[in-house]
Amino acid sequence: MRKIALALAAFGLATSAAQAQGNYPQRPITMIVPFAAGGPTDVIARIVGDNMSRTLGQQIVVENVAGAGGTTGITRGAQAQPDGYTIMMGHMGTHGAAPALYPNLKYDPSKDFAPIGLAAGTPILIVAKKDFPAKDLKGFVEYVQKNGDKVNMAHAGVGSVSHSTGIFFTSVIKAKPTMVAYRGTGPALNDLMGNTVDFMTDQIVNVAPQVQGGNIKAFAIATATRSPALPDVPTTKEAGLDGYEVSAWNAVFAPKGTPPEIVAKLNEALVKALSDENTKKRLLDLGGVIPSTAEQTPASLQKLVESEVARWTPVLKAAGATAE
Amino acid sequence: MGDLFSNLNHGFSIALTFQNLGLAFLGCLVGTLVGVLPGVGPIATIAMLLPITFGLEPVGALIMLAGIYYGAQYGGSTTAILVNIPGEATSVVTTLDGHQMARQGRAGVALGIAAIGSFFAGTVATVVIAALGAPLTRLALIFGPAEYFSLMVMGLVFAVVLARGSILKAIAMIVLGVLLSTVGTDLETGQERLTFGLPFLSDGIDFAVLAMGIFGVAEILRNLDHTETRNVVQQAIGRLLPNREDFRQSWRPVLRGTTIGAILGILPGNGAVLGPFASYTMEKKLAKDPSRFGRGAIEGVAGPEAANNAGAQTSFIPLLTLGIPPNAVMALMVGAMTIHGIVPGPQVMTRNPDLFWGMIASMWIGNLMLLIINLPLVGVWVRLLKVPYHLMFPAILMFCCIGIYSINSLPTDVMFIGLFGIVGYILIKFGFEPAPLLLGFVLGKLLEENLRRALILSRGSLDTFIERPISAALLAVAAVLLVLALLPSIRKGRDEVFVE
Amino acid sequence: MSLSPQGVAQPPMRRGPIRSTQNFAGGLFLLALAALALYLARNLPQGSLRSMGPAMLPDWLAYGVGACGFALVVMSLLRDGEALAKSSLRGPVVVLLAILAFAMTIRPFSLGAMGLPGLGMVVAGPLAIIIGGYATPDVRLRPLLILALSLTPFCMVLFGDLLNLPIPIFPQSFANLFPASWSQKEILRATAVVMAIAALALFLTGRRRPSNRIDVVDHSGTM
Repeated sequence: MRKIALALAAFGLATSAAQAQGNYPQRPITMIVPFAAGGPTDVIARIVGDNMSRTLGQQIVVENVAGAGGTTGITRGAQAQPDGYTIMMGHMGTHGAAPALYPNLKYDPSKDFAPIGLAAGTPILIVAKKDFPAKDLKGFVEYVQKNGDKVNMAHAGVGSVSHSTGIFFTSVIKAKPTMVAYRGTGPALNDLMGNTVDFMTDQIVNVAPQVQGGNIKAFAIATATRSPALPDVPTTKEAGLDGYEVSAWNAVFAPKGTPPEIVAKLNEALVKALSDENTKKRLLDLGGVIPSTAEQTPASLQKLVESEVARWTPVLKAAGATAE
Repeated sequence: MGDLFSNLNHGFSIALTFQNLGLAFLGCLVGTLVGVLPGVGPIATIAMLLPITFGLEPVGALIMLAGIYYGAQYGGSTTAILVNIPGEATSVVTTLDGHQMARQGRAGVALGIAAIGSFFAGTVATVVIAALGAPLTRLALIFGPAEYFSLMVMGLVFAVVLARGSILKAIAMIVLGVLLSTVGTDLETGQERLTFGLPFLSDGIDFAVLAMGIFGVAEILRNLDHTETRNVVQQAIGRLLPNREDFRQSWRPVLRGTTIGAILGILPGNGAVLGPFASYTMEKKLAKDPSRFGRGAIEGVAGPEAANNAGAQTSFIPLLTLGIPPNAVMALMVGAMTIHGIVPGPQVMTRNPDLFWGMIASMWIGNLMLLIINLPLVGVWVRLLKVPYHLMFPAILMFCCIGIYSINSLPTDVMFIGLFGIVGYILIKFGFEPAPLLLGFVLGKLLEENLRRALILSRGSLDTFIERPISAALLAVAAVLLVLALLPSIRKGRDEVFVE
Repeated sequence: MSLSPQGVAQPPMRRGPIRSTQNFAGGLFLLALAALALYLARNLPQGSLRSMGPAMLPDWLAYGVGACGFALVVMSLLRDGEALAKSSLRGPVVVLLAILAFAMTIRPFSLGAMGLPGLGMVVAGPLAIIIGGYATPDVRLRPLLILALSLTPFCMVLFGDLLNLPIPIFPQSFANLFPASWSQKEILRATAVVMAIAALALFLTGRRRPSNRIDVVDHSGTM
């Protein structure tokens, strides 16, 4: 018994002891992805992490810690040792919408992290069922405004990207459609294709194939420029809707207190990954948007997080959306 | 029809390359070995093994993943039979008679008939996918929330039928299972329900955690109480493979199971989960002596296992033809495809014919591999039962802990298998069965979500369930089944109403 | 958990008005669960059929569970049925302890002021096996040790090395004991080999003199 206690104590002391930082990284790095394997954030994390591993000379192991709209995994990441061996892939929800959705959130997106850099964004698409009685975004917006709660808006569950961006859309066009919740994008799309619900907003990677296949129609893409994946779909601005530009960005964070030289090293690896032709192509194939060089710095990510929290909080609070 | 053959031919020309054959074999083998760990089902296995396919080119990677899926699926059935721990919802039924067979020394026969039934079902399902995949997809789109709700109601009635003992207790367990499924954040409003304010309950109870607890751990606790019965399994090993008599009893259930499983698997709302339950219900109703069920009836393994595998296969249809994943396993497949740069959708068939037809062909090859790998392994698995129980159960315990931890990396999940183990043990002590509880739990989420969705869409009118013809038909079937299930006990007289 | 104590302790013979202690206890258990669910959902809105609130279905279901429980209790008074089987507390308690030991050591764990560093599978695995083994009265330490020392390296190699899962294998401080040039994988393999050799040594030496020690003392020690 005493031996066990001694051993425990020895392990504990040694674990908390500071590690040599000079030749970071010396062992594999864990990247927490706060969603189940296979989702858009997971895929982006794996593609980017794969290339970063090669630059750093140590493997980046993706650990999926799903739960509570991604906040479970990010909470764990925020509380991890700031030694550079635990980093995480946060996104629009966990570092933008979460403070409004989860009043008991255990981290502050703008204070508890050492931002590394923006990885990739996936634009939001406004899509509707094939038979929707409108030709373009203008007609669509008018229809939704006129018919109010007779229109059914699908979303992938409270806290999901499609939920937050959907609420944002309805607040921009000042309409109140009936909300229908689904568990994930798949079943929501299924009912959209089956003409059971009328419209939804979601990440391009989830809905683009159905638009290309003619099963649903896209009215606009909520970015400044059109996407090469769907060149025929106009941007919201082109289609005459101001104030709805939104993308589900994904970014790499480390826990607060991570030494600056480690942050710099990780950022360097990330920037290198985003300039790699093969990595870029894979991200673009998903309909992703590669951030500009100016957007790839830790400082600009910090600014993005602050502006996103400021943007989402009033919108979601006004809609009465909360996950607790 | 000529098209079909040239397409399949094209598919086989891709799947039969040396490399892809090897990958299919490797996938099946690794999938079986990981899936056979107690409590580790297909979802966990695929999530674990997804990264090892990254280095491969897309077609090979998906062929290997499909192999892992079949392997893990069969591995889950193996643990269901050997140690009474279902790896996933669909092998819950297999525990009922499969584990009983193992206790009677017929583990080899149960494993063998499961492998052979699965192979047959897989072969039929492959042809169904190749020939009817595209047109059947259109049918699936007719299913809206109202239809799914009625389908789930029908599923709950199956649960009543498959109960062994007291019907009242079975109903209590089903309702309790549905109640457990409502724990967590409410999908429509985002409010937390029944979570005690605990953050790790906010996403509800994980199926793997519940199943491992009330089946795996509770089974260990129950065995610890019965020193005399727990050695039965090791003593009698018996025949390793099914004989002619076994086949005579099983071929009809396999045929029926395949049909049911294949049809339900096409539905995008995870209809495949109902396949084995439906098949079991049907076999029990058709049997001359239904009382054999739950006591080691081979039909109760052959039918559901065939349905399970047929459904597992046809649930690729919504994914391959629509790009819509019908369940968690297929959602992982979507992730795997996107990582390899293939965004699943209606165009996969035309844009990546190599992938589409190669994968269909490899389905059949995967099933063949599974048979080749598993028939010799039956002997090994059965021999595992010879390990004395006082060493067996600590090993199972550790595998359960590691398995559940590796799914979400959450120590709380590990603690919960302990908690549910105790709950399961109490339930067994009080004469309740865990299987209906688990079925209620699995269907509960779908039931509530679709009920609320249907009522939101109908603006609160319950008529929607009767006005829509498919929904009405399903409800009618459910009502008839329920009456049939209750009739025998009612007829037996009032004294036996609650004890079949 | 509300394991009704009078039910478990009751001898199998009939006493008093209860004609089936099993049904009686089961009924009470269901009633308790129903009450718990209703209590937990008390502050949530019911909503209407048109837009059901989060509490509507749980409430109905709780009433359903309660009704079943009530029926069971009534039945246990009216009809003969099975009595509760006797059970010992040793199994459930020890198995629960084994699971908790695994959960608390696999990764850093903290509960209020108490905290444990993450010890990884190399400690958590053997703990689960050895503590768990004491759930049965016919426990012997040596075979358990052999089992723990052979299954743990197997799992370490399978999950940590071959499958590359992000499951903690050993604490970082342990890795620091090795020369810096060793990679994580090499340390893992070396540890696994040492454990396997230890298991083999125990197995070979144990074959000659079977251990008949009484394990009660050890039992309290490992807790």
